[in-house]
Amino acid sequence: MDGLHNWTLAAPEIFLAAAAMILLMIGVYRGERGADLVSSLCVASLGIAIFLVLRLEHGTAYHELFLVDAFTKMMKVLSLLAAGIAIVMSRSYFVLVGVWRFEFPVLVLLATLGMLVMISANDLMTLYLGLEMQSLALYVTAAFQRDSERSTEAGLKYFVLSSVASGMLLYGASLVYGFAGTTSFPGLARGFLAGDVATGAIIGLVFVLAGLVFKISAVPFHMWTPDVYEGAPTPVTALFSVAPKIAAMSLIVSVVMGPFRPLLAQWQQILVAVAVLSTIWGAIAALRQENIKRLMAYSSIANMGYVVLGLAAGTEEGVRSVVIYMIIYLAMNVGTFAVILSMRRKGVMVERISDLSGLAQRQPMMALALLLFMFSMAGIPPLAGFFAKLNVFLAAINAGLYVAATIAVLASVVGAYYYVRIVKVMYFDDPAEAFDRPVERDMAVVMLATALFVFPVFPVFQAPFMNGAQAAAKTFFSGR
Amino acid sequence: MPYEALLVAVLALPFAGSFLAALFRANARNAESWLAGGVALASLALAGAAYPLMAEGGIARYSAAWVPGLGLEFVIRMDGLAWAMTMLIAGIGFLVVLYARYYMSPADPVPRFFSFLLAFMGSMFGIVLSGNLIQLVFFWELTSLFSFLLIGYWHQTAQAREGARMALIVTSAGGLCLFAGVLLLGHMAGSYDLDHVLAAGDAIRSHRLYVPALILVLLGALTKSAQFPFHFWLPHAMAAPTPVSAYLHSATMVKAGVFLLVRLWPAMGGTHEWLWLVGSAGLVTFILGAFLAVFQQDLKGLLAHSTISHLGLITLLIGLDSPLGQVAAIFHIMNHATFKASLFMAAGIIDHETGTRDIRRLSGLWRFMPITGTLAMVAAAAMAGVPLLNGFLSKEMFFAETIEIHDGSPVDRALPYVVTAASMFTVAYSLRFIRDVFFGPPPTGLPRTPHEPPTLMRLPAEVLVLACLVVGIVPGYTVGPILETAVRSVLGAAVPEYSLAVWHGFTPELLMSAFAMAGGIAVYFLLRSWLLVCEGPPLFRHINGRRIFDRVLVTLSWRLARRLEEIFGSRRLQPQLRLLAAVALLAALAPFYMQDLVPRSMARPELDAAFALVWAVGIACALGAAWQAKFHRLAALILLGGAGLATCITFVWLSAPDLALTQLVVETVTTVLLLLGLRWLPKRLEEISPPARIRWYRGSDFAFALASGAGLAALAYAAMTRPSPDSIADFFVENAYTKGGGTNVVNVILVDFRGFDTFGEITVLGAVALTVYALLRRFRPAPESVPVPEQQRVQDIDDDAHPDRKKGDTVRSAMAVPGLIMRLLFPVIAVVAVYLLLRGHDLPGGGFVAGVTMAVAFILQYMARGTTWVEDRLRILPVRWMATGLLLAGGTGLGAWLFAKPFLTSSFSYLEIPLIGEIPMASALLFDLGVFALVVGATVLILIALAHQSVRSRRAPRSREAEATTLAPMAELR
Repeated sequence: MDGLHNWTLAAPEIFLAAAAMILLMIGVYRGERGADLVSSLCVASLGIAIFLVLRLEHGTAYHELFLVDAFTKMMKVLSLLAAGIAIVMSRSYFVLVGVWRFEFPVLVLLATLGMLVMISANDLMTLYLGLEMQSLALYVTAAFQRDSERSTEAGLKYFVLSSVASGMLLYGASLVYGFAGTTSFPGLARGFLAGDVATGAIIGLVFVLAGLVFKISAVPFHMWTPDVYEGAPTPVTALFSVAPKIAAMSLIVSVVMGPFRPLLAQWQQILVAVAVLSTIWGAIAALRQENIKRLMAYSSIANMGYVVLGLAAGTEEGVRSVVIYMIIYLAMNVGTFAVILSMRRKGVMVERISDLSGLAQRQPMMALALLLFMFSMAGIPPLAGFFAKLNVFLAAINAGLYVAATIAVLASVVGAYYYVRIVKVMYFDDPAEAFDRPVERDMAVVMLATALFVFPVFPVFQAPFMNGAQAAAKTFFSGR
Repeated sequence: MPYEALLVAVLALPFAGSFLAALFRANARNAESWLAGGVALASLALAGAAYPLMAEGGIARYSAAWVPGLGLEFVIRMDGLAWAMTMLIAGIGFLVVLYARYYMSPADPVPRFFSFLLAFMGSMFGIVLSGNLIQLVFFWELTSLFSFLLIGYWHQTAQAREGARMALIVTSAGGLCLFAGVLLLGHMAGSYDLDHVLAAGDAIRSHRLYVPALILVLLGALTKSAQFPFHFWLPHAMAAPTPVSAYLHSATMVKAGVFLLVRLWPAMGGTHEWLWLVGSAGLVTFILGAFLAVFQQDLKGLLAHSTISHLGLITLLIGLDSPLGQVAAIFHIMNHATFKASLFMAAGIIDHETGTRDIRRLSGLWRFMPITGTLAMVAAAAMAGVPLLNGFLSKEMFFAETIEIHDGSPVDRALPYVVTAASMFTVAYSLRFIRDVFFGPPPTGLPRTPHEPPTLMRLPAEVLVLACLVVGIVPGYTVGPILETAVRSVLGAAVPEYSLAVWHGFTPELLMSAFAMAGGIAVYFLLRSWLLVCEGPPLFRHINGRRIFDRVLVTLSWRLARRLEEIFGSRRLQPQLRLLAAVALLAALAPFYMQDLVPRSMARPELDAAFALVWAVGIACALGAAWQAKFHRLAALILLGGAGLATCITFVWLSAPDLALTQLVVETVTTVLLLLGLRWLPKRLEEISPPARIRWYRGSDFAFALASGAGLAALAYAAMTRPSPDSIADFFVENAYTKGGGTNVVNVILVDFRGFDTFGEITVLGAVALTVYALLRRFRPAPESVPVPEQQRVQDIDDDAHPDRKKGDTVRSAMAVPGLIMRLLFPVIAVVAVYLLLRGHDLPGGGFVAGVTMAVAFILQYMARGTTWVEDRLRILPVRWMATGLLLAGGTGLGAWLFAKPFLTSSFSYLEIPLIGEIPMASALLFDLGVFALVVGATVLILIALAHQSVRSRRAPRSREAEATTLAPMAELR
């Protein structure tokens, strides 16, 4: 079989790679003035990539290194969407702090390319390739605000810790290869199914999972998250909190549900521990945060805990809950960050929770949107977040993970408290000085769209999303 | 089925109304009331229309796809109990709307009020009509949300905000617990459908998850119904407008909890746990609420505590776990709703017309508002359980039920006495409500002159009091069928005999009632004078629920969180790294521990003493490097080089000369480059913190590193002693000569088999060199490393001391001999490099090694003669080297296309050269030449970038900006 005959399966990736290089050139020749042009072209490229992804057929390419199926397509669309929105939301911030450069959107484009490769990985090699491509671009974006000490520190910290995690992943991959004799996902699955499970391969799996868990910032590999979220420029934080999470999560799903599915008993323990710790720590540590970006960091730790819990079920239902959760998480998070990015007073970004005081009286629509996002994250019906959690808990309970599910629900009670605190600050506290008006048009559009999604679109029209998630989840169970 | 449409309409109407209500003008009180009242009446009528079916014991169902795939359907299910609750909610809802029309002042923004009220009503309908447990939780949380908004309606006042927040936190947290409980419950029953769950009682009770599920469900129900120990939120919710209190705390919100208990009793009741958990919560609440109510000075506070107490009574009845108990509970739910709603309305009227709710300031109101007074009196009498009123009937049932023996425990035996005693307090506070407010001397100093309210404002209370009376006098004809309907839907065939007659003869419960009545009157008169001055209940005065709640909240959410964050969180990189590695280590150890990992073949390798010595040196170097890394970078770097050399020797030992050669030169060059970079880092750190702590830190780090290293070594050993998987190594060895024309397999792989990879790699190397250069061009050294370094100062001391010496003479003389040797070495090394390049295809060597070797020659020149001298004589600039290299490599690859072969296909032959003889001539050699050129260029470029720092920065202090531009090194490169 010639490895190249299916190359069209990678059309979105190839397109993005070419687009990134062309845009880089355009940027170089247009100089400072090119940022707006490059940025809009980047968004357009991501849009075209979505279109290309949707048109893909299913199959493998490059000697089974690369896989396209319903699940990967779904996740790719989500990642592309998240990245595109992140670029749209970044302009005003960077203009404000004076570093609106064409490199930023191009870097995001490259990171997204890495994500797509990650999602399509069907081999430990492809996995690593995509992961590193994504990470390298993201390190730079975290430190993009070069003159800011915090931003530089965030970038460096992210780089150091993430490289250690990548190293662990690579080490695990080499162990897996050493003990199982192959790096190909189908090959590994065949070997494990045949009962050939060496302890070394399990240790390899542990290391691979450790590296991947780091990327979704779940406990115990969460330490970098608050610092990086707080330090990185806010649009970058917005990007970090969604797109790479989707990609890394889908990578975990394809790793554990693909090659390592026969080892369910082993990884289930790991994932349950990760899920429980993440939900608890995400809820508790968030309680005393004063900085809303830090709060969102812990919130994303907790959210990832719930997603991992769904996955730990190891069932079709579980995978479906992961997909649903990621869709809803995307909307809630992007919306919240649109609000955070609009927190600007006399041309200066503010990011303390107390800055939101009395927002309801000054900017009622913005307050209402944030209220929807907060209640949704808290999992209070009838908002979308409730259904996200519902799916996860049902999957966990049906898989017999009673204790973990119960703990996670109780952790969500604690979590609800700090989300509600923000609502309280907005609605009940004495108004602080107003934010700059008008809110950027881009932000307003993002806020409106996501708020409408959280309520009422998702709660009312669940069927298409559920069906899509169902189809995506099925790929792992009906033979690809 | 018309019932389906009816059910949908009942549920949808309030929400539609809520939406509409929000659109009205801010002062449209009448329109809002018409709308809300209409909705409530319509719901009532619709529900009433379902009575025929309910009376037959039928169940109306409507279901629609809700969350497909989860097996969840949106089910509206109406049975007798749900029907009775719907009637109650809609009926009292209508009366409350009417009342609110007159209660709310024109200044209040009514659209918000009525919108929330209707949405709340809809959510309550949702709870009672849910045919699916998840859906029930869904509406449950909605009621929490809307009650939050209603309680906080007057959000200008701190009290309202606090009360609303507390209610939301307690009830929605309880709701989430309920959510968890319901998930477990549904799992045990195998379905979330209410019918299934109710039918699966036995399976649920015998399941091992029964107790956790029960506790979680109870947390939900007890928080909602303000049961001990969650009762504290309710009094603070009294900051709500009185219509809201009248609605939420009589017929709806708080009743949701007890409704749920009754609803789930067939599925979960009948166990010891139920009896004790539910029963004791109810009993404690009943007593505590009644006791506290007596000492309240606020009219609404009194009613709030009495609500708590009555809900405790209902909970106790449910907890007593008998069919008759359920009958009494359902009956009391209805009765309490009627009299408590009318009492709240009366309290609201008093507040509205006098301007105060303080019992101490009110008295003798009978003169001013006799009708309201009569209404309040009758309702309070019903609350106290006076005969001929509805409260009496359910209270009798309650007393009768407590007399029954349930499990024979001491508490069970004492129950009748305890509840009688508690009932005395019920009587006492009812009496106090009437006597202190309506009788006695005329009030003085009231904010307003009291008078009767508008007729229509009084009407709702009149209707409710009438209901109390009618039910109390002729229960069988009025409430009988309704109660029967509700009870049958819960108990099914097992409906016990019960009688609604007013007179049962002289029974023990009548005696208890009499005792309670007499005792209550006695208690009131005993405490009366003291009550007028007391500042709160004795014993409990200092136990302020709100303060405890706040303190717990602060402790948990703030102090504890901060403490935990201090322990487990850190912003410092080192602990973060340590955690990362430690967790990975532990996680990897776990499988070791669980399944013994014994390598498949434990062949003892033969160990040579010399080889072991090399390794000992290497390990010592590595340890030393780690030890010195933080304190003496130079030493650490040199030791690192030592470790590298040990590796190099290992390669030689294990017959990999090619690797060894590469390792050697790469090691040399990187060490030198790193040394050059060291100058810009801060100097050696002598002391950073007290030695003891340092020792501890370093010791632990050392142990940790040792453990990790040992673990990695063990794993590596285990992996290497396994039979290696089929790899492509054999393919390379076999085909290196036949297909690649070389006997040095490594080189053939690099330039031929994997030529494309190598091409990519050299491109990256070029990019790296350019990046390093570009970054260093803009490099601004830290202020402390700008001045002349210490070593140089030491060297210059002597020169400065002697006027006849010039600066730098010492260095020049010291470097004279080595400098000469270095200069002489240049051509030698260059020849070696060419030699390595040419022979690379067959023997150890190759473009990469040759390139690095060549770079070594340049480095030596830099060291011997200094930057300026070398750069004056550099004829071919690094960037050109790199460009040539890349073009050559790429061109070789493209050349293959001329022969219609794929990119980078190589060909080889032998070339006869006079004198030298036959040398192999593969096209790969050209490619290798490209590699060589690029490596030389890249290394020298990095070298230049580093070297220029010292040239620039020495002059920098004078005028940094000007220097940077004049010495922009790109100029020199072009």
